[in-house]
Amino acid sequence: MNIHTYEKVWLAAAMVLIVGFIATITYGAVGPGIAMIDDEAGSIDPAEINDDERFAEPGVEHVGGNEYEVTVVAQAWSYSPAEIEVPANSEVTFYVTSRDVTHSFSVVGTNVNTMVIPGQVSEMTVQFDEPGEYGILCNEYCGEYHHTMEGKLNVVPEDEFDLTELSVEAPDEVDAGNETTITANVSNGMQEDLETTATLEIGEQQSERDVTVAGDSTEQVEFTVDTADLGEGDHDWTVTVDDYEESGTLSVVADDGNASADGGDGDA
Amino acid sequence: MAMRNAYVDQFPSEARLISAAFWSSFLALAIGGSLGLVQALHRTDYLRFIDSVDYYTVLTAHGVLLAITFTIFFLVGIFTWAVTTSLDRGLEDLRFSWAWYAMMVVGTVLVGVSILGGVVDSIDMQADVLFTFYAPLQAHPAFYVGLVLFVVGTWLAGADWFRTWWAWRGENPDERIPLPTFMTLTTTLFWYLCTLGVALSILVLLLPWSMGIVDSVNPLLSRTLFWYFGHAVVYFWLMPAYMMWYIMLPKLSGGKLFSDPLARVVFVLFLLLSTPTGIHHQYLDPGIAEGYKFIAMTNTMFLLLPSLLTAFTVVASMEHGARQRGGTGYLGWLKALPWRDPVFTGMALAGLMFAAAGFSGMINAGMNINYLVHNTWWIVGHFHLTVGTAVALTFMAAAYWFVPQVTGKQLWNRSLALGQVLLWFVGMTFMSNAMHRSGLFGMPRRTAEPQYQGFNFEPAAGTVGEINAQVALGAALLTIALALFLLNMVMTTIGGESDAIPDNTYAGTLSGPEDAPVVLDNLKLWTAIATVLVVFAYTLPLASIIDAGGLFGPGIEGFQLTIGIDPAIVLESVREVMP
Amino acid sequence: MASATEKQETDRVREIGHDEYDPVGTAILIGIYFLILVLLWLFMYFVEFLGNGPTVVGALQPVLLGVGLA
Repeated sequence: MNIHTYEKVWLAAAMVLIVGFIATITYGAVGPGIAMIDDEAGSIDPAEINDDERFAEPGVEHVGGNEYEVTVVAQAWSYSPAEIEVPANSEVTFYVTSRDVTHSFSVVGTNVNTMVIPGQVSEMTVQFDEPGEYGILCNEYCGEYHHTMEGKLNVVPEDEFDLTELSVEAPDEVDAGNETTITANVSNGMQEDLETTATLEIGEQQSERDVTVAGDSTEQVEFTVDTADLGEGDHDWTVTVDDYEESGTLSVVADDGNASADGGDGDA
Repeated sequence: MAMRNAYVDQFPSEARLISAAFWSSFLALAIGGSLGLVQALHRTDYLRFIDSVDYYTVLTAHGVLLAITFTIFFLVGIFTWAVTTSLDRGLEDLRFSWAWYAMMVVGTVLVGVSILGGVVDSIDMQADVLFTFYAPLQAHPAFYVGLVLFVVGTWLAGADWFRTWWAWRGENPDERIPLPTFMTLTTTLFWYLCTLGVALSILVLLLPWSMGIVDSVNPLLSRTLFWYFGHAVVYFWLMPAYMMWYIMLPKLSGGKLFSDPLARVVFVLFLLLSTPTGIHHQYLDPGIAEGYKFIAMTNTMFLLLPSLLTAFTVVASMEHGARQRGGTGYLGWLKALPWRDPVFTGMALAGLMFAAAGFSGMINAGMNINYLVHNTWWIVGHFHLTVGTAVALTFMAAAYWFVPQVTGKQLWNRSLALGQVLLWFVGMTFMSNAMHRSGLFGMPRRTAEPQYQGFNFEPAAGTVGEINAQVALGAALLTIALALFLLNMVMTTIGGESDAIPDNTYAGTLSGPEDAPVVLDNLKLWTAIATVLVVFAYTLPLASIIDAGGLFGPGIEGFQLTIGIDPAIVLESVREVMP
Repeated sequence: MASATEKQETDRVREIGHDEYDPVGTAILIGIYFLILVLLWLFMYFVEFLGNGPTVVGALQPVLLGVGLA
């Protein structure tokens, strides 16, 4: 074969280029540790998503330390949850699957990007060093309103992040003179103990209770309300735990023996 | 007339077939290209006359008509020309040849009508599934049947070229395969190899499922089989452009092909490596292990080799021509090239664009950097340089030479043709650079709207408005160029016969086939190795996909996600699935 | 087949054979292309890509460089 010297040099240079490209990609995998989406997370029957241990209640979970898991279900034309909040300085593993057709889960302006294929689970581990707000979009055509499929990912400063939830049980109406109870359920999604204070404000009164909620559990905080102190009428109340609050109104009604009066669970 | 020696004088019957194939191609280009303008103006929000939900019907038609119909109709014409010209014999049986052409036409019409059903209420079909038809998005069965007919038509066309070669070989047992025929046959061989995947996907999985014979599909399996075909198909379009660069550009430059042996090596490499690379379109797919992705990347990277070799050989051939025409100096010879010839200039500019496309292709091939660009507008920028310029502009430039050859009529307006190829180049420069850059800050492909509700795109350089302006301007220039091309073709065809048609020839070689090892012509050997490489690259990934999800998947039904037809049904199903 | 190849080229001023032809201009152009490819590759990988963090990393792999290389 009659190959010109220049051409032989170019052939060698081309091989150097090719090997150099493969070497760069390999460096990316072993240096910065970039991993590809793969088959580790296994497959799933899309019809069984609502009964699936991982995907039945999609959202953020604390694994321990600075590690979190986020499960996301994609469907035409939304993500569930639509808004995700994780702390900075965290290592977050996303599990994403689809209920219907092929979607993607792509965090705009980052290298967090995966196809979401029905029947498959995409697993990605990402380190979030800095706080920031990102859009999430679907970049695979998924039907007529594909362009409306979006979500949000908020990476908040570490000290602003928690997985606390507050729900309050309170009666609407109580007979004057009776005592009643307002119960705050404080749940802690983090693995560490949560030490906090629950505060009830009602009328002019305010009461506080210190509470410690163990990791991944719920505590009940009961506030006893004496209607004698409040008097008849409507009283707005607010329960506050850290940044969370829930409000309502308690009506204290005159206990005049009228058959229609039926409120209150007091024991007097 | 007696002195004229154009293709139509040598092979009048074949010339009619090639003409028909070219016109089918131009019709697809006219419709598909115009739809491109509709999309570009809509998505950049400059001019809107369709609803955003219909954007995807338009996009499906644009993709299928340009990526499949325009390219393949043109290339069956070129390959028929290449085989008959280089073997100096006609096709064996023209009835057979018209039969495959007709099959391709019927397939296209079925596909076209089913797509059109997405916007025309009186057609009770839809195929809003885009060019990639990823299940479980489901099209009307006519769409899949049409695709199969079209592909089988190309198989028969390939058989036609092989028959012609076998007949020639019987009479010339000791001759080397002429280069244009060699290129056609190697390309046809990998086309057979890769289309097996999509044929299997359609006939075994998608068609029975769309007809309700089986009630489930494995989305990852059908997707993997699509990409088994989906990357090789780009080389199917590209090889005829390469052929033009190898055998026409040197002649147009006034020289000879630098090396026939290296041209053969290049086409053998494409036969070997075109197919076992498809998984590089699935770098971000779950359900495929990283190791298989790495193998696909290695194959893809080595597939750069034949293209890099081509760059050298083709430019060296042009330089040879320029120096024979009196060009001198290190780079001064560039001025001696025939820049006033639209055929030369079109092909040279297409080659230049392909050098740029080569770069974005290298990025796309890099496994982990795919996180940055996957399914962004960058990808669209890339393939508008490859199929949209390297292939399309080469084909249009080639048409300025071929249409006179197959009709015996002189090109209507050479200056207009020169302006047209320049305009295409300029238009694509605007559109493609903007698309590439926008991908780097995350603008997605395949979407009808320029922005989202909850966040803004943040370009590192430039603005979203400037990107959109460049895309819209580029698309407008491209559409004007398209119209000028079609005008020139129509006026040429309705013009009168001319004696001034150049002879039907292609470039000679500086280093000829006698320098090429005989083993290069052993098509059986290369086909066997290509098959082994495909088996290596695909057996394990396919086995693990079928093992995990089953051949027909876990009860995954078809979706035709539209709320235009019956909102109640969709709302009900949404309520059903809400946790 | 020989009859099909180009023999006459009207504007040709000289004939150059394979052995007497060094495509030096091509070597220069392709050398420039090579440099562009290498520089753009490095820019794309190390600035555009690694600077575009956060990036997907393996859960168990040590992170040596972090993601903010740029």
